[in-house]
Amino acid sequence: MYFSDLGTVSLILALGFALYTMIVAVIGAMRNQPQLVASAQRSVLAVTFFLILASAALIISFLTHDFGVSYVAQHSNLAMPWYFTAAAFYGGQEGSLLYWALTLSLFSAIFVFTAKRAPVVLIPYVVATLMGIETFFLIMLTTVSNPFVRILAPSDGNGLNPLLMDPGMLVHPPMLLMGYMSFSVPFAFAVAAMVTGNLSSDWLRSIRRWTLAAWSIQTTGLVLGAWWAYHVLGWGGYWGWDPVENAALLPWLTATAFLHSTMVQERRGMLKVWNRALVILSFALSIFGTFEVRSGVISSVHSFAYSDVGSYFLVFLAIVIVFSTGLFLFRLPKLHAEQEFDSVISREGVFLLNNLLLVGMAFATLWGTIFPLISAVIRRQTMTVGPPFYDQVIGPLLAVLILAMGVGPLLAWRRTSSAALWRNLGVPTIIAAVCAAVLPLAGVTDILANIGFSLCAFTAAASLYELWRGMCVRHSHGEPYLLALYMLFNRYRQRYGGYVVHLGLVLLTVGVIGSHFFQIQQDALLKPGQDMNVAGFRLTYLGNLDTKEPDKEIITSQLQIWHDGQLQSYIYPGRTFYHNFDDQPASQISITTFGVTDLYVFLADWTGASQATIRVFINPLVPLVWYGGLLMLLGGILCWWPVRTKRAAVRVSQTSDVSRSQKSAGIESKGIVV
Amino acid sequence: MRPIDGGRIVQPALTVSAEDARSTRPRKPLPLSFLLAGIAVLGAVIYLVYANTQANAVYYMTVSELKHCSVCTTQAVRVAGVVQAGSVVRDEQKQLITFVIVDGNQTLPVTYSGVVPDIFRPGIQVVVEGYYTKVSPFLAQTLLAKCPSKFQSATPVNQ
Repeated sequence: MYFSDLGTVSLILALGFALYTMIVAVIGAMRNQPQLVASAQRSVLAVTFFLILASAALIISFLTHDFGVSYVAQHSNLAMPWYFTAAAFYGGQEGSLLYWALTLSLFSAIFVFTAKRAPVVLIPYVVATLMGIETFFLIMLTTVSNPFVRILAPSDGNGLNPLLMDPGMLVHPPMLLMGYMSFSVPFAFAVAAMVTGNLSSDWLRSIRRWTLAAWSIQTTGLVLGAWWAYHVLGWGGYWGWDPVENAALLPWLTATAFLHSTMVQERRGMLKVWNRALVILSFALSIFGTFEVRSGVISSVHSFAYSDVGSYFLVFLAIVIVFSTGLFLFRLPKLHAEQEFDSVISREGVFLLNNLLLVGMAFATLWGTIFPLISAVIRRQTMTVGPPFYDQVIGPLLAVLILAMGVGPLLAWRRTSSAALWRNLGVPTIIAAVCAAVLPLAGVTDILANIGFSLCAFTAAASLYELWRGMCVRHSHGEPYLLALYMLFNRYRQRYGGYVVHLGLVLLTVGVIGSHFFQIQQDALLKPGQDMNVAGFRLTYLGNLDTKEPDKEIITSQLQIWHDGQLQSYIYPGRTFYHNFDDQPASQISITTFGVTDLYVFLADWTGASQATIRVFINPLVPLVWYGGLLMLLGGILCWWPVRTKRAAVRVSQTSDVSRSQKSAGIESKGIVV
Repeated sequence: MRPIDGGRIVQPALTVSAEDARSTRPRKPLPLSFLLAGIAVLGAVIYLVYANTQANAVYYMTVSELKHCSVCTTQAVRVAGVVQAGSVVRDEQKQLITFVIVDGNQTLPVTYSGVVPDIFRPGIQVVVEGYYTKVSPFLAQTLLAKCPSKFQSATPVNQ
């Protein structure tokens, strides 16, 4: 009896309970038998328990180096430190599917525990949908992709791919996989709402917070992925528009669109059809992403271990699309807008613009990703589009989106008088104009970069100015400024959390513009004592070092960085060769940050102890990408954070909504006709 | 009939007036301004996608297709193949590398200048992008090695 046997048994039991939950929840709802629904909810907890057990069994198999488990033998070895050995849990296909299933069950359990906040009629169908998705994963885990398959144990395992032996491995894959998975919950709500015909806006309040959570997780996963690529891959960038990256971006874009359009439905009862479509689309895209990554239908620089799993995902994707589209069309006649659009120059007008832009970006990204398939069908010739395509399509759309982000919050719902509009836009416009005028003097002669920076300045100014005016209003009622700032965030968490996200995206965009337009690259073949000069930095090459360790050999070049006539630091860009992955060295990239400029040094090639080809990138403003990402995450958490937890949640959220909208009419929207 | 109550909690007055409005007058189509703005944005997106697809699409060919290609002298093309054993010649000074890629029973000589990916070696699959004149080797501007990613099992090269 091994731990892996326990794992297999747990998976089969989890599958049994998932099927039971699905059937009993639906029967309970249809026959109106609450005890059946309660049984289904308890059964979800059983699924969660057995998946935790299975995951624990896999982790223990890893930590005890049970190489009789094929998956353990393929993804770890004796020399790996324990944290990478444990992280190898999700380092391969079978384990990552188990991780997916585990996190889905955990989210389902959280849903069950907090179910009293959700509309009662929806609960059984939400549970049934979640367990339907879980069933799909468990079927794969127990059949084609079982992580517990046993083999004749080798004396040592293969070890983990060297590129994965990096701290990024500990945080990025779990975040991104959890991000993909977390779009299941909003989807389950949407399905439940459509099945029951409970098409009111009640479910939106529940779903928005789940989507916010999903959005925050996916944001973190994307930023961590970019950070990892930047530190590990050695091409000087952090985002390459690779199909695998695009797949992760797609559901993020549609979820961002949903988070905005849902506000229009909550406030004005419009866009109901659109909102449902976005929720379904986000989930379908997250499944599509997993399918695309696994199936090998699209050629990517990342080559994954292709297997039959891809076709299973395709079938699942087809089921999801057919099922949800069918439900959607069935309920379409009941989805009336309660109000009508009045004016384009209004909050909802800008939200619509924002949605069109985000969905447009998603469409363009999807188009570029599957263009090899499209062209193969239409032109009978496979063609691909590379990063320039994405840069040139997404760039202008992002610019308009940034502008809309600045203008939107300044507009009132329904319509805004042009006098009020100009009063609000005056200060940010002046700041943007000053920025546009000053930048050429500071050396930014590229017109596109200037437009980009100025738009960012506009939106940052508009958001900060809003914050400032809010503080001033509270200050005039006798609060000190800092308390006023705290109270603003405390009272209107969503609104000001949203501003924080916006500021984060602006910062991130500034970083992207900086590295896109102003990156400098220089290569040099150096012998000891020789220098290379790049953008005010002087690098002196001293020689190569060779370090031999039991499981690996590391070649590094020693260089000095000189700046302003001073020795700044020694750096050691290099390459690590793991003995069991000799043909796949991992780069050790040296990144030194001076203010907001990264000096990115990569050892391209070397000969013996005293010759090296050094590639240097000067990456201006790249650190802002990470700060921006952090700010976006912070804003997401602020928006998500529960308003009050003491009393019964539904009542609280309703009353606070009322008081919020009344107060916002009174205090916040000074000078804006609501 | 159960009234549709979205927004009622948030803004009671508005919902009531909207319900009145629905019962008294017929549904108004979307205002023209919205329609125009929407069409403008959608048009811009479609134009951007279309124009940039035209400008940036690169043929992805097999080696045998490339041999019959007439436009590849002026148009960039991508070719995939496996690096032939013993064919790699490096010129350290000019940072030039020449090698032969194999695709099925066809071979194609390639020259490339620039930094070579870490995992580049005979036997791995590469994708080269560049121009081809039939008389000289394929002039690669980019050289991508298929990098085994996160979920690849441990022995990628032998697959």
